Amino acid sequence: MRNYLIRRILQMIPLLIGVALVTFLVLNLVGDPFAQYALNPRIKPEDIARMKHAWGFDLPIHLRFFKWFWSMLTGNWGVSIFSGGRPVAELVKNSLLWTLKFTVASFILAFIVAVPIGIYSAIHQYSILDYFFTGFAFFGMSMPTFWFSFILLMIFGVRLKWLPIGGVMTPGLESAPFLVRLLDQTKYFILPVVVLAFNTMGGWMRYSRSSMLEVIRQDYVRTARAKGLSERVVIYKHALRNALIPIITLLGIAIPGLISGAMITETVFGIPGMGRLTLNAMLNNDYPLAMVTLLLESYLLIFGNLFADILYAVVDPRIKYT
Amino acid sequence: MKDDILVQTKDLQTFFYTDEGVVRAVDGVDIKISVGETLGLVGESGCGKSVTSLSIMRLIPWPPGKIVGGEIWFKGEDILKKSEEEMRRIRGSQISMIFQEPMTSLNPVFTVGYQISEAVLVHQDVTEEEAKKRAIEMLDLVGIPDPEKRYNEYPHQMSGGMRQRVMIAMALSCNPDLLISDEATTALDVTIQAQILELMKDLKRKIGMAILLITHNLSVIAEMADNVAVMYSGKIVEYSDIKTIFKSPQHPYTYGLLSSIPLVTKKRVKGQKLPIIEGVVPNPYHLPTGCYFNPRCPYSTKICREEDPKIEEIAPGHFVKCWNYLKPGMGV
Repeated sequence: MRNYLIRRILQMIPLLIGVALVTFLVLNLVGDPFAQYALNPRIKPEDIARMKHAWGFDLPIHLRFFKWFWSMLTGNWGVSIFSGGRPVAELVKNSLLWTLKFTVASFILAFIVAVPIGIYSAIHQYSILDYFFTGFAFFGMSMPTFWFSFILLMIFGVRLKWLPIGGVMTPGLESAPFLVRLLDQTKYFILPVVVLAFNTMGGWMRYSRSSMLEVIRQDYVRTARAKGLSERVVIYKHALRNALIPIITLLGIAIPGLISGAMITETVFGIPGMGRLTLNAMLNNDYPLAMVTLLLESYLLIFGNLFADILYAVVDPRIKYT
Repeated sequence: MKDDILVQTKDLQTFFYTDEGVVRAVDGVDIKISVGETLGLVGESGCGKSVTSLSIMRLIPWPPGKIVGGEIWFKGEDILKKSEEEMRRIRGSQISMIFQEPMTSLNPVFTVGYQISEAVLVHQDVTEEEAKKRAIEMLDLVGIPDPEKRYNEYPHQMSGGMRQRVMIAMALSCNPDLLISDEATTALDVTIQAQILELMKDLKRKIGMAILLITHNLSVIAEMADNVAVMYSGKIVEYSDIKTIFKSPQHPYTYGLLSSIPLVTKKRVKGQKLPIIEGVVPNPYHLPTGCYFNPRCPYSTKICREEDPKIEEIAPGHFVKCWNYLKPGMGV
């Protein structure tokens, strides 16, 4: 296992460099990010030249790549062009905190709702509740996020006035005691968490249902029954353990989403998270920031896959990494 | 000993309700197994052998299958009247079962040792340590070398023959009164098959259990069984002790089965084909009228096409379900 890990990490190095190269090239296709300042009378040509030098735009493109990649690796992520010169690292850190708060919550919510329901549907296949949950799953999957967000906002925010209609906290509570802030933010996060969870839940429900359905038809489940085990042990020990193996793939795929955030949901609910940060960086041609967020998100996908592979080996003894 | 009945089914009926119609997989089966007896149950694929055995275990999956009629007596009690909880206590301890596919019958994510000791733990009042000891003992008994080490192995680390031994160890771990072997050796190659059969015979002597041996391999029956029941389309067509079946089969189907066994000792004219039973098993959704075997039977007469015969005792202990048994040309 340790050898496998070392090998996998070594194999990842060319992949990570390749991804960085592609990200770099694609964003450089956009053209000179500093050109937009040439017409701004408040920015002196010397300043533009200084910025160009700082970002290596006075170098040939291959040297610029190395300069950029090296500063990425050393953590010197520079300053954002657009957001008043704030350090990129600080912007990412702030956005990441907000994003994690609501993505992790929705991830957990989706998981604890979807997997048990999927398993219930499989055990009680074609029952009324199974049909109900199937309909629910398709409803969740096919609903456009922005539309559903607005519907919920209309009902709970505008009509019933139970929940705030946007933002992440009530102004003026920044230095309130922790519990007060927690309660306050929970109110703001309920809707985005539900919307995001609803969207992922449907797929996960179907996924765990079909995985469980496949497993409960297996010969070893019949063997477990023939041994005289109770139905509870047969299902929750012998079948579930096997059914969970493919569900782990979902976890691996979902991990990058935890950090990259959800552009649409964040935009609708006004959450200053990673999704919005990335989107704005792109729209504003904020070269330094866009480079960091894109690279970060693609790297997380790679690490998420590695994490899923490791989890496989933990739950499935047939998989042995050497 | 002869009258010490362990299991008896009376007019057992197990049907499957599918979208296309009702399949009468087992339709009025009477079998009887005495203590320590080996009963062979033979027939083509789909004739209801496995469904009969799963009915005895009460493991018919509902939906679509259901035991709709009859009685199953085990040790003087009708197990169809038992609750699921009572049945659970019988499964694996008094009636055990080994299945056809050793490659898929063990759970891939648990060690073989754990899967055996689990059966012991469920049925016996023992500690985990004792269950483990018992499991290792069983692995040793079924001839798995180095059982302490093998205890911690996973099914994928073993060959098919080894896995079937593990299945047997699991089935026998609680000293059952009845072992149901559902095509347990079919998926194994011939040498391993012989080893497993030898092992079962040997263990039967040691433990004194009865065996319900389901197979479509008549040589296995000849090797192992005391009595034989021949099944066709969900019904028993002939039932007798092993000698009578092989010496003088009375049902045309049994006769056909026996004559389609190639024998090295038999002189055969060059180019002569092995006799086969013409046709295929009837479609369970559209069973023929009269005797279900009549479309394939070379001796079929008018009454065969009109009315289904009852099973009759034609000699003590020899039951045949046929209008025309003992007709000239039949029997060897």
